Amino acid sequence: MQQNSEYNRRRIRMGIWFSAPAVIVLLTVLAYPILASWVLSFLRVYFAGQGLSFRFYGLTNYTELLTNQLFREALLRSIYFTLVEVIVVTFLALIVALLLNHPLGRHAFFRVVLLVPWALAPVANAVLWKWIYNANYGILNQALIGLGIIDRNIIWLGSPVLALNMILLADIWKAVPFIALLLLAGLQNIPSHLYKAARLDGANAWQQFQHVTLPGLKTTLIISIVLQSIWALKVFDLIYVLTKGSPADSTVLLNYLSWRVTFSNLDVGYGAAIANVLFVLMFILSLVYIRALRPRKTKEKVG
Amino acid sequence: MISYKHQLSRFFVRMGLAIFTCVALGPVIWAVVTSLLPLTALTSRPPDLNPLNMTLENYGLVLDSSRGLFSGLINSFIIATFTSAVGLVIGSMAAYALARLNMPGSSLILMMILATQMFPGIVIAIPLFLVMSRMGIVDTHFALILVYLSFTLPIVIWILKAFFESVPMELERAAAVDGAQPLQTFQHIVLPISLPPLFATGVFVFIEAWNEFFFAIILTRINVKTAPIAIAEFSGQYQTLYGQMLASAVLASIPVVFLAIIFRRFILEGFVEGAIKA
Repeated sequence: MQQNSEYNRRRIRMGIWFSAPAVIVLLTVLAYPILASWVLSFLRVYFAGQGLSFRFYGLTNYTELLTNQLFREALLRSIYFTLVEVIVVTFLALIVALLLNHPLGRHAFFRVVLLVPWALAPVANAVLWKWIYNANYGILNQALIGLGIIDRNIIWLGSPVLALNMILLADIWKAVPFIALLLLAGLQNIPSHLYKAARLDGANAWQQFQHVTLPGLKTTLIISIVLQSIWALKVFDLIYVLTKGSPADSTVLLNYLSWRVTFSNLDVGYGAAIANVLFVLMFILSLVYIRALRPRKTKEKVG
Repeated sequence: MISYKHQLSRFFVRMGLAIFTCVALGPVIWAVVTSLLPLTALTSRPPDLNPLNMTLENYGLVLDSSRGLFSGLINSFIIATFTSAVGLVIGSMAAYALARLNMPGSSLILMMILATQMFPGIVIAIPLFLVMSRMGIVDTHFALILVYLSFTLPIVIWILKAFFESVPMELERAAAVDGAQPLQTFQHIVLPISLPPLFATGVFVFIEAWNEFFFAIILTRINVKTAPIAIAEFSGQYQTLYGQMLASAVLASIPVVFLAIIFRRFILEGFVEGAIKA
């Protein structure tokens, strides 16, 4: 033991050196900006020629938010968008994961199919859906007319509620594969002897799903839901390419609003305030989920 | 003895798999087909899908240097390569320190890392933009690489830490008994058996950096426009050149989609090791 201590000291010293570069990068590009954006949200920032000037603004940015109609609408829309996306994506991804975990679905081909939408650049995805939704020549209108479901072209991105939901649809299509990958990995971590035991006890497929699959997947499901809701709150690329917030600002979600206020309107303090609302929202979400994760004692790994 | 019920369930699984394949690949195939057709074929109703009309013309046009896509692809390549290389080097060192080197305050650092997944990019984008404009490094590769490290490093550390913890301690003890220094143990014992997860995370980071749009639009002006920026601008400027629009989207997606397919085993295993077990 005694001889080990010199070795251990060396390990600790090496540990500090080893983590230093990563810590420095994270401090400068993460910790500092996060703090700075809190400070900014209490300031009014003026662009004076080349430089910037700041004035203390108190809580004005935040009180302005409360009375701002567009902000409230964006907030509600973001919540709607996130809720629907999380529910639909989790449901669809679970089905896909179960299909791919079935002996018939284990072929490598399906894994490849799953990876394609995931790897696609979000902007490429947005351009693709812009073309699919195209009012005059888009395949969606042509297909629906061909099938006799609609009788004339629909301007998918032209009316408020419809446009938001079409963006949602494109985002869901892109998001399902990744969550399915996570759930698939979770499914494969469930020991097969549990299913064997359940079958011996006479459990049917649904009962096996309820009592073996779901409990075994609980942690993975929670991780998926956290990640998915965070991504849904961050949606930006699709809005930027598909609608730029139109029609009549009806597809402006929080992240897009914060960007527009800061970098188009150059109202930096106000933009930072919106960003921090988004931050708090995500933080609360993650706390809720981490809490939900805790009660079951799965503290296998400590230290 | 295959029961009727069993066969029925197999039928439903097959159907489900077929629907899944069509829905997942359909839009992508449509994008590729569109990119190969001339404008007149796309604007006739129904679209003229005659394979004899297919041409690479759209690709030639979008790669013309005046369109900015070509330089965008090169910028994206430079940025994604450096981000994953730097991320792997400093990320694997930090991950090893957290997993094995009894680092003081390691649980705090881990919490910090987790927290980074929980905040919106816009929060750091605003102050970073102000600082970087003042330093005059907006619109440089360096600025984007640095920012991309901020959200990929935590993932690298997280996944690799989980992997390093799964390396049998005996292996490292044996090396120590043989007189190996900690650094040598890391270099000669741990790293060589960690190549698959290193590769997986490297590819993952490359794809993330290649595809990133939000920071790119804030931190680039003219010189380092990345491929996603070029595509987005194109789709805004030439909205009616559908074939070219899709050709540029396909071009920018080819590298990452192929990377994902080629390294699918690494990526899938990386997820199993990292995201779930962590």
